[in-house]
Amino acid sequence: MATPAFTFTPSTFQKLHPAEFFRRFTTEGVRPDGRLLDAFRPTTVHHGVISTANGSAMVRIGGTTLVCGVKAEVAEPKLDTPDQGYLVPNVELSPMCSSKFRPGPPSEQAQAVSEAINRVLKESKVLDLKDLCIEEGKAVWVLYVDAVCVAYDGNIFDAALAAIMVALNNVRIRKPTYQEGTIKVSGGSTANDENSFTLNLARTPLSATFAIFDTTLTILADPNVTEETISEGQISITLDETGQLCGVTKIGAASCSQSVMKDCVQSAKKRTQQLRNIMNQQ
Amino acid sequence: MSRLDRSRTSAHQLRPFFSSQNLLNRADGSAQFDFGGSSVMCSVVGPAEVKLRDEKLDKATIEVVVRPLVGLPGIKDKAREQAIRETLEPLILSGLHPRTSIQIVIQTMKDDGSILATAFNATILALLDAGIPLKSILGAVTCIVDSETNQILLDPTTQELANAKSTHTFVFDNKSSITSTDNKQQEDKESVDVATLYSDSTGLFSEEEYFECAQICYKAAQAIHGFIRTAVQKKLEKEQQQIDS
Repeated sequence: MATPAFTFTPSTFQKLHPAEFFRRFTTEGVRPDGRLLDAFRPTTVHHGVISTANGSAMVRIGGTTLVCGVKAEVAEPKLDTPDQGYLVPNVELSPMCSSKFRPGPPSEQAQAVSEAINRVLKESKVLDLKDLCIEEGKAVWVLYVDAVCVAYDGNIFDAALAAIMVALNNVRIRKPTYQEGTIKVSGGSTANDENSFTLNLARTPLSATFAIFDTTLTILADPNVTEETISEGQISITLDETGQLCGVTKIGAASCSQSVMKDCVQSAKKRTQQLRNIMNQQ
Repeated sequence: MSRLDRSRTSAHQLRPFFSSQNLLNRADGSAQFDFGGSSVMCSVVGPAEVKLRDEKLDKATIEVVVRPLVGLPGIKDKAREQAIRETLEPLILSGLHPRTSIQIVIQTMKDDGSILATAFNATILALLDAGIPLKSILGAVTCIVDSETNQILLDPTTQELANAKSTHTFVFDNKSSITSTDNKQQEDKESVDVATLYSDSTGLFSEEEYFECAQICYKAAQAIHGFIRTAVQKKLEKEQQQIDS
C-alpha cells in the first residue's frame, strides 16, 4: 500500500481549509462540535444578576455570554411626544469578548445589532412608551438598556434579544411623585410591591438564527463564530409567545427559497418555545 | 381601491420609476434611481487603491457609505451599510480585482418611503455604470401590510408607512427569474417558489402574510429587472453611436 506524499493532522487541515473541513462533517449530518445540524447550543438564563440596576439578566448560549442591565433615569420628553418615555437599547461588543473587535467607537456589527433590536422593540410594540410618563410634558422615564458581551462565540442577536427581554421583564422602578417641578421618590431603601412598579410588556419577542452553509443550502441552527465566518448568509426569525412573527431577516450570498424559509420558521417556533421554558424555569 | 397618494389605482402597483446613469463626472460610475417621490443617488469609485489596513490578498475590498437626507449618518445608516454591503459583496466578482478597493457611496436625495429598496436599485445601476463585473443583477421592492384594511400595499409612501402594521423589503437576483421565464409552466402557477437574496421584515405579521408579501414583491421585482436591462441596453446603444460617429 502506497503512503500519501504528505499528511497532516485534522487541526492543521481545519486551519488550511476551514470550509472543506466543515463540509466533511455536514455531509455526515453533524458538526465539529458534536451538534446535529438543527441543534441549538445549551442555553442558560439568569435574572437579577446586578443589584444596582433596575433590571438585569445574564444569558449564555454556548460560548456566547451577555450581561444586560436596565437603568431608569428621569428626563424631559420630546416636544412632539410629551406623554412618552424613551427606550434606548445598546449592545456593546468590546475587545474583551473577542479578538475580532477593536477598542474605540462601536463597531459596525455592534451598531447593526443594536439597531435590529431597537426596531424589534419599537415596531412590534413591546412596551407602550406612555407607561413611562411621570408628568405629561414635564418628566418621563428613560430606560437605558445596555447589553455587554462578555464572551463572543457567534449568534449575538439571539443572545442579546433574550438578555434584553429577560432584563426588561425583571425591571422594578420606584413610583415617583411629581410636585411643582420636583420629582420625589417615596418609600424606604428597598423596592417592594407597594412603592415600585414593573413594566407591562405586551409581548416577549425571541429570535432564532440560522446560518446558510455552502451552495447546497445546508441550514445550521445557532451558528458559532467559526460557522459564522464560513457561512454564506444568515436567517433570523423573531417570534412572540403566540407564534406571531415580529421580524424576519435574511442576509448574505446564498439566495434561499421559500421552502427553506418555511422550515426555518417552523424550527424557530420550536426553539423560541424551548427558550421561553428555560426563561420560566428561573 | 385608490391609494393615499392618489396617483395609483391598485394596491399592487409600483410608483413610476426613473433612473439616470453617469451623472457625476469625477466618479467611475454613478446612477440615480427614483420611486415616485423617493430618490437615491449612488456613486462608485473603483477598482482603486486600497488602504493597507483594509487590503485583502485574494479579492477587492468593498466599502459602502450611506448618507442620510439630513444630518450626520447615524446607527440606522450603519445598519443599512451592513445590509447593502453583505448583499453586494457576493454579487461582485471581487476576485478579479485583488488588492483594490471599490467604494460605494449612497446619498438619499428625496425621501418618500421605500428608501432601502430605492438605494439597492440605485447601487446596482451605479455598479453597472462603473463596469464592475457582477454575477447577476438585483431588484428591490418594499411592501407593507396596512393596519386598518390588512391589505398588502406595494411601494409605500411615507404617509402609508405611518399606517403600516408590518414593513417588508425584499431583494431578488435575476438568476431565478431567468429560469422561470424559460419554464412557462412554472410562471403560470399561482405561486412560484421564489428565491430571496435579501429580506428584511419588521412589525407584527403572520407567516402567511410574510410569504404572500414575498410573492407580490417577487412579481414586482421582475419589472425592476426588466427596467434595469433596458436602461443598460439604451446606455450601450448610445455609447456605440458615439463611437461610430
